[in-house]
Amino acid sequence: MNHLSEEQIVLHYYGDAEEAAEVERHLAACVECRAEFARVQSMLRQIEPLEAPEPLPGFEQKTWLNVRDRLPDKGGFFRRLLGPQQKWIFAGVMALLLAAAFMAGRFWPRPEQPLARKAEPVNSQRVVLVAVGDHLERSQMLLVEIMNADAKGPIDLSSEQAEARDLLDSNHLYRVSAQQAGDPQVAPLLDQLGRVLAEIANGPSEVSPQDLQQVRHSIQSEGLLFKVRVVGSEVNSRARRPEPVSGGNVNQRL
Amino acid sequence: MEVTDAAVVAQVLAGDRDAFRVLVERHSRSIFRVVYRMTGNQQDSEELVQETFLRAYKSLERFELRANFSTWLYRIAVNRTLDFLNARKTQMQTKDMYQIADNPDHEEGNQVQVPADSPGPDRLLLSAEMKRKIAGALGLLTPAERVAFTMRHMEGRSIEEISQALDLKVSAAKNSVFRAVQKLRHQLEPYTSPGSPSRHARWGGSAVK
Repeated sequence: MNHLSEEQIVLHYYGDAEEAAEVERHLAACVECRAEFARVQSMLRQIEPLEAPEPLPGFEQKTWLNVRDRLPDKGGFFRRLLGPQQKWIFAGVMALLLAAAFMAGRFWPRPEQPLARKAEPVNSQRVVLVAVGDHLERSQMLLVEIMNADAKGPIDLSSEQAEARDLLDSNHLYRVSAQQAGDPQVAPLLDQLGRVLAEIANGPSEVSPQDLQQVRHSIQSEGLLFKVRVVGSEVNSRARRPEPVSGGNVNQRL
Repeated sequence: MEVTDAAVVAQVLAGDRDAFRVLVERHSRSIFRVVYRMTGNQQDSEELVQETFLRAYKSLERFELRANFSTWLYRIAVNRTLDFLNARKTQMQTKDMYQIADNPDHEEGNQVQVPADSPGPDRLLLSAEMKRKIAGALGLLTPAERVAFTMRHMEGRSIEEISQALDLKVSAAKNSVFRAVQKLRHQLEPYTSPGSPSRHARWGGSAVK
């Protein structure tokens, strides 16, 4: 008499064995396989589902705030306008236009480029650096204001919230640029700053001293204020550094 | 009346990014539980919940409005967790994470005898010890085995659901569950059925024909 394989016994425990009726008949007739099945059953019954701890109150809100700041833009004008079919047509038209532009660029007679224009990419980098420096300075002022706010009774944070909302939008843009430029210093800082700005912007406009304490705790965690100061001053000094005379370093970090 | 998930998805796809908040608030807790059962770590699970929603948002166009959003999200969570466990396994390969011996059959005199009668402090201690051993044995499974076993044994998901979530054939999904149980038996049976070794363990794990 052939016994059941270990796989048949295990799968039968979960009701997943093929020819279940045959397995059942065999188990009824075979003492050895029944004992084997009992051993599997006894072991598996002791493995209870791992009880997940209950997440802290406000878990959903915290998840949303962290997710929100990282959501890419969806549903732009063209995206909403175009269905899936039209998108392919649109992509084809764009590819044709691109090819035409490329060919025109190759064969069109070009006037001599003045030398001074070569420095343009460096200038645009500098503009971004100045803007990021300004952004970090404004963020620093906001964080300092919150850290020094009088924590007695209900605190009105509506003006700080408006400022945080404003900063949050530009923070997102600068963070994406810094990530694309592969800046190891600015990108993670803006990521951390974005989470705190989102917490301030999306919280209630009037907060209790305890709520304020929580916001301050977020600011203090991982030395955010200190990092904003240090990186801000580093970015400003990079922006002020004299440009190379020609060519420039287009790949300069943000 | 509560707005359906499909209606919220349509709203997000129409450009209302903030509508996604409804889906996060509605499903984050259940996704957290699922992920926690697979990782066993609260902080990792919280981060994986966020990444699950980010990935869902990015591929929302691929969600079919007639389908069940929570099932779709569950699949994303399982996949993301599997990636995470694979990455963690690579990081931990050089470390000796678990203290359970490779062959507990040789651990004579170290077996936990679980008495069948009333619970008392001794029994509670033994139960805690057993839980530790189970956690250790689960840690020895490959990420795919662990995820498949968790889905089948702890979540009660069907083999078809496992095969869809892990993008496996039905036979491969069954095999993952079986291999997980086989490894767990090897580690745990000396404690759960002491004194009566499995015929498969006795005969080197091969099936009897």
